[in-house]
Amino acid sequence: MSAYAELAITTNYSFLRGASHPQEFALAAQLSGLKAIGIADRNTLAGVVRAYSALQELEGEKPKLLVGARLVFADGTPDILAYPADRAAYGRLCRLLSKGKARAAKGECILYLSDLLEWQQGLLLIVMPPSPRIMADEIFKKAWNNAASFAELETGAKAADIEPFLKQLSQTAPGRVWLGCSMPYRGDDKRCLRKWQRIARKTNVLLIATNDVLYHSPERRELQDVVTCIREHVTLNDAGKRLEANAERHLKSPEEMAELFRDAPQAIAETIRFADRIGFSLDQLKYNYPDEPVPKGTTAQAHLEYLAWAGAAERYGDVIPHKVRALLEKELALIGKMEIAPYFLTVNDIVSFARSKNILCQGRGSAANSAVCYVLGITAVDPTEIDLLFERFVSQERKEPPDIDVDFEHERREEVIQNIYERYGHHRAALTATVICYRPRSAVREVGKVFGLTEDVTAALVSGVWGSWGSKLSESEIRQGKLDPFNQLIARVVKAANELMGFPRHLSQHVGGFVLTRDRLDEIVPIGPATMEDRYFIEWDKDDVDALGMMKVDVLALGMLTCIRKAFDLMRVHSGVPMDLASVPREDPVVYDMLCKADAIGVFQVESRAQMNMLPRLAPRKFYDLVIEVAIVRPGPIQGDMVHPYLRRRSGIEKVVYPSPSPQHGPANELRDVLQKTMGVPLFQEQAMKLAIVAAKFTAEEANGLRRAMATFRNVGTIDSFREKLVGGMVARGYERDFAERCFKQIEGFGSYGFPESHAASFAHLVYVSAWIKKHYPAAFACALLNAQPMGFYAPAEIVRDAREHDVEVRHVDVNFSHWDNTLESRSDGALALRLGFRQIDGFSENWAAALLAARGNRYDAVDDVARRARLPKRALIILAEADSFQSISMDRREILWAVRRLADDDALPLFAAQYVEEQLPETIAALPVMPLSEHVLADYRMLRLSLRAHLMQFLRDLFRSENVKSCEEIGNAPDGVRAFCAGIVLTRQMPGDAGVVFITLSDETSVANVVVWPRLVETFRREIMGARLLLVEGKVQRSPEGVVHLVAERIFDRTEELERLSEDHNNDAPSFRSQARHPRNVRVVPKSRDFH
Amino acid sequence: MAKVENALRLTAVDRKAAMLGLEPGMPLANARAMLPALKVVTADEPADRKLLAHIADWCDRFTPFVACEPPDMLLLDVTGAAHLFGGEKPMLDQIREKLSKQGFALRAAIAGTAAAARAFAHYKDGAIVPPGAEEAAIAPLPIEALNLDAITTHAFRRAGLKTVGQVSARARNELTARFGARMVFALDHALGKAEKPISPRIPLPDYMAEHRFAEPIVTEDVIRATLHSLAEILSSVLEQRGEGARRLEASFFRADGAVYRITIETSSALRAPNIIERLFREKLDALADPLDPGFGYDLIRLGAIRAERCAEQVIGFDADANEEKEIRFLVDRLAARFGSNRILAFQPNDTHIPEAAFVAMPAQYAQNAKWECDTKEAPRRPLRLFARPEPVQAVAAVPEGPPLRFRWRRALHDVVLAEGPERIAMEWWRHQDLQASRDYFRVEDSQGKRFWLYREGIYERETLAPRWFMHGMFA
Repeated sequence: MSAYAELAITTNYSFLRGASHPQEFALAAQLSGLKAIGIADRNTLAGVVRAYSALQELEGEKPKLLVGARLVFADGTPDILAYPADRAAYGRLCRLLSKGKARAAKGECILYLSDLLEWQQGLLLIVMPPSPRIMADEIFKKAWNNAASFAELETGAKAADIEPFLKQLSQTAPGRVWLGCSMPYRGDDKRCLRKWQRIARKTNVLLIATNDVLYHSPERRELQDVVTCIREHVTLNDAGKRLEANAERHLKSPEEMAELFRDAPQAIAETIRFADRIGFSLDQLKYNYPDEPVPKGTTAQAHLEYLAWAGAAERYGDVIPHKVRALLEKELALIGKMEIAPYFLTVNDIVSFARSKNILCQGRGSAANSAVCYVLGITAVDPTEIDLLFERFVSQERKEPPDIDVDFEHERREEVIQNIYERYGHHRAALTATVICYRPRSAVREVGKVFGLTEDVTAALVSGVWGSWGSKLSESEIRQGKLDPFNQLIARVVKAANELMGFPRHLSQHVGGFVLTRDRLDEIVPIGPATMEDRYFIEWDKDDVDALGMMKVDVLALGMLTCIRKAFDLMRVHSGVPMDLASVPREDPVVYDMLCKADAIGVFQVESRAQMNMLPRLAPRKFYDLVIEVAIVRPGPIQGDMVHPYLRRRSGIEKVVYPSPSPQHGPANELRDVLQKTMGVPLFQEQAMKLAIVAAKFTAEEANGLRRAMATFRNVGTIDSFREKLVGGMVARGYERDFAERCFKQIEGFGSYGFPESHAASFAHLVYVSAWIKKHYPAAFACALLNAQPMGFYAPAEIVRDAREHDVEVRHVDVNFSHWDNTLESRSDGALALRLGFRQIDGFSENWAAALLAARGNRYDAVDDVARRARLPKRALIILAEADSFQSISMDRREILWAVRRLADDDALPLFAAQYVEEQLPETIAALPVMPLSEHVLADYRMLRLSLRAHLMQFLRDLFRSENVKSCEEIGNAPDGVRAFCAGIVLTRQMPGDAGVVFITLSDETSVANVVVWPRLVETFRREIMGARLLLVEGKVQRSPEGVVHLVAERIFDRTEELERLSEDHNNDAPSFRSQARHPRNVRVVPKSRDFH
Repeated sequence: MAKVENALRLTAVDRKAAMLGLEPGMPLANARAMLPALKVVTADEPADRKLLAHIADWCDRFTPFVACEPPDMLLLDVTGAAHLFGGEKPMLDQIREKLSKQGFALRAAIAGTAAAARAFAHYKDGAIVPPGAEEAAIAPLPIEALNLDAITTHAFRRAGLKTVGQVSARARNELTARFGARMVFALDHALGKAEKPISPRIPLPDYMAEHRFAEPIVTEDVIRATLHSLAEILSSVLEQRGEGARRLEASFFRADGAVYRITIETSSALRAPNIIERLFREKLDALADPLDPGFGYDLIRLGAIRAERCAEQVIGFDADANEEKEIRFLVDRLAARFGSNRILAFQPNDTHIPEAAFVAMPAQYAQNAKWECDTKEAPRRPLRLFARPEPVQAVAAVPEGPPLRFRWRRALHDVVLAEGPERIAMEWWRHQDLQASRDYFRVEDSQGKRFWLYREGIYERETLAPRWFMHGMFA
């Protein structure tokens, strides 16, 4: 049997060129008995770790993985496969690719032959000539014009021939140049082979066999054609010779290759010799932590211990609680054993920087399981309050480096990131990549285009798919789009799209995952610039980085931290209260009172509809209740139907019992330890995992595999075997099938959005802090919330309304009082009023606000005065007038607007602008019609998305009264079971999970009402639900014992036109045309609702 | 539906959709969220324009001055034309009736100025406003009727000036100071106080010549003679400009209002009068439904619709230089006679499939395409390709050896030389079933004849019994 190594493999990480995953190549190579495979994607190493990981998992004899890249040049040089022979050469290859990336726009890589010549040391090079027929053309001439670095080349050589090129290259890289050739079934293969043999002999270069592989199996030809079309933006019918003529570029077995190259067996043998010369493997990428944070003369471990004990002393004073002391000792010992102290120090370094700049930050995720993180101030979960499970965070068996995620204020995270770059340098710090993959929608859209379907049909095809994830397109989903899944064209599109799903489309930067190293990072992996200026990211994503054991810190952004910091600032300035995250008084009962009433608009996490419904039911009275509150309203517990059992047990309706196996399989209370904290109902992610171990007898490794499968299951689809194992295992041990199924569903729900207890605890801390501020400093809270927008669930209008309901006076934007941000003003009675800032005005710019403020002096007296002194463009003045911001000058909005329009246009030459004078004669004009209140309100909404004057519904109240429609407040007070009508502006629409229920929040001048629409009705009234701004709902009032009121919809009407009528003049009998072209501002009568899916 | 600012948006909705709350400008995604079963059609602006132009053409019968105002408006200057139809009202009724019958929904009005007519058509369908009465009639209409830009309209609304009357009641200098003279002019135009000529549609030929007859003519001879003289006039104009016509149109205006238009196209710029005349004659003769002169034509017009520069050529002395030209003339003549779809030429087609590598298309449109060929080596494809591959019995080694011997048309051929295979997979997306790949071989038999044959089906991967076919012969 002949041995063969395939050295020219293009995976789907050569975007839209390869048609198979690296994993597929790895498996196929093992099956067909290849000695080695060389992954060589176009100017990238993005796919190699995937292949590496896949091979790690294979059992038995496996092919050796050669890591390389196919260098594609911008100067016409033929493609060259470059394989580093050793670690040093690998570093050079990374540098080479990084250089090409830095030169190009995001995602591209521009290489010249000169780059290769600079970094070629130690690289084994296989020149991949195009077919001789094409080669005779222009290609080489271009190369020659650019090959300035080959100084010794006779410049006059009309080198439409590869020979001189090979000669020169092999002189530069002696003994490291091969000529790659393949047998593409072009008809003249043998003739070509002979030609290559001749050339190789003449140039003293060895011939090496490849199949220039694009996919692992011939069946992928169709997909290969499809991706080619996507790449070339053509349909299959128009693609012509851009497609391959046949399906031969698949991974072939040694026998097949030997047969193809029977005239040149030495070219086959050469592949093995080539593979043997490569001494580099990804194992050799010895990761090392940066050593910046360790002071000279001490070790990382010693320094960490010093900092930890110092931090503990600061947190707890002189007497460190016994429990904490024990935890710290245990953790530090384990850290020492695993030699990961530098990791903690590095994260601490970043956090300390943020703290020194007064940037709020807080660790999240499993890091909150660490007492060390707590005493270092990275996380806020006090080990005395919560039972920490350090093993969850760092485990010796897992051998994985820990993962610390830290949230920073979203507006100031950039400072932190820039500091990281500054401290570690661009060559040692970069973001990880996110592999953007084809998802159902994008796959169908692109594939549909290739097959010549119109966008309309493809839109219909994916209309049945909810959300952007989801596994393959199913028949029923196709039927939902009113298409026939058995139509051949549709079937082909679906087949190709299903195959394409999960294919990488491009690399993007991860939101905040940083990789830091001591040595050059760009010698470990190529780094390229991101679209964002001054951002660089590596070619590997977080799974790749994990697989290679590299350290990663997630530097994330969190809007609520911005809000809290701004609130702290306001409290310090206006109330003289210095405060930070740690010093907020704990367990304040009035805060819990407020939360129990679901008075939570703006409060972190618990402000969503579902959370607000949960609050009165759960009635949190202590911190741990908040932890549960945060965790319970998540897809996991909801899908697992764990919410109601928990609530019943909490309220004492149901007894706390622990599901148990049959006696012969184990003790009845084996789950007690796991589920005790949550009254026998699994709510947290780790409880579900633990359950798998205890009740279904998973090994720790299997449970971990389950967790990882969940996180990515939509990509891979190995979930069914786990399902069988978990449910089957539990039932076999005597658990009820129903409970087992629910546990599994819950784990599925955790997949994408699971909260472990520690993470919930971190978030609960922010819930508490934000609720505390809201309770005690409502004006500062509302102000900070508005200034931190966009964030959270609610639009400014709701935040302002909520503030006013909490007795905060809110004042309109005014040229004489407002700043860019919203501000607080002292009232004569000592209370604080909230003054809206210019940032609330749609379309007003921060620069204008600055100019306005700079020239304001004491105050402006007239519109002209503003124009003259602040030198704002006319457009800015019109916007100010439209927003009614001249109230301190004149109360008549129309008059001001009319006056502003008269101001000169901005095109005055600078010369004249300098002596801006009032040239217009005073004019006497007839009075304009008085602006009715309803129009004022509408104008407020258009400009500010809120109105302090009145609620729009107020103007329609008489109308709706006559129709026997109740106000939201009346609905809120209505007894259970009453049938009623209610109308209001749609604030939010939410469709949580894929249950199909829609929650709508309606608002009117009295209050808000919560409408529930069951799935059956959603279909009937879909148009109204999705399209209306003003809804009239007929339904039944449902009041829970805790006082949560819902209106369960039975009929729904779209009454948006009432709003449009408002904007018309009352006495105007001219017909109104919906279809008349309207200014965009006019179209949006009320701000769009916020929708969450 | 069309792509506007990177999002698919609705561009127009029918009555039913409008009643369901859809409006133009709405993102398609939103509309679909409301109505998943919504049927949408991609907007085709050129087609809309074309349709509007067609309607405008048709309106020629009411007045020669028709202006298109895309997307959906026509302005007709009916000054002095209304009496032909019995007055303005009967005229309007007639337009409305006839267009409605053709399935168009329309709003129409007549007024003293274009701007006023536009306003009434949009906001007071069917209004006929005599000159001088515009101001009073337009006053109650909403200011949108003035067709001002969105910003100005909004400004008026915000100021509480919501009807045309309220705006026109303001002092002119007050308006000018805020919105410029242009707005004031537009207002006056709509009030019937200022006139702005409508710009008629421009289907006007680049060059044209026409002949009016005092008495309608009927006989074919006169028609031909007229065409010839018109061709001469046109030709001399074209010559002066150094141009030639690629498309010519003859219009025959019948006394009763019917218009016939006949178009000829040429494959190269043309201006020789006799050729022009001859091409028209061929076309006229070939008409399946000959022109019916009825009561005779009172106007014949000949226009060069598309003219382009044509290089002045000295008539060459050698015949070769004219060969190309002669062929072109021949093609033109034959095409005019038999229809351009019947005179065909081969064009290369971009595909791997041998029998589809060329297509026949009308010779008049055919480019002088270069066929790809290797000059240095023997051609890879045979000169003669059989319309239908012929089955062959062949002896060959599996899996992919060349034929050693084959029987074709009852003759046995021994293969001496063979090269291949060239493997060509079929275009899978075009076929219902799986199509087998072909392995082509170029072979030479013992008599020196060269053939192109293929094995259908890859052994084992696609079939266990591959069949052989003869697909062509090399010269």
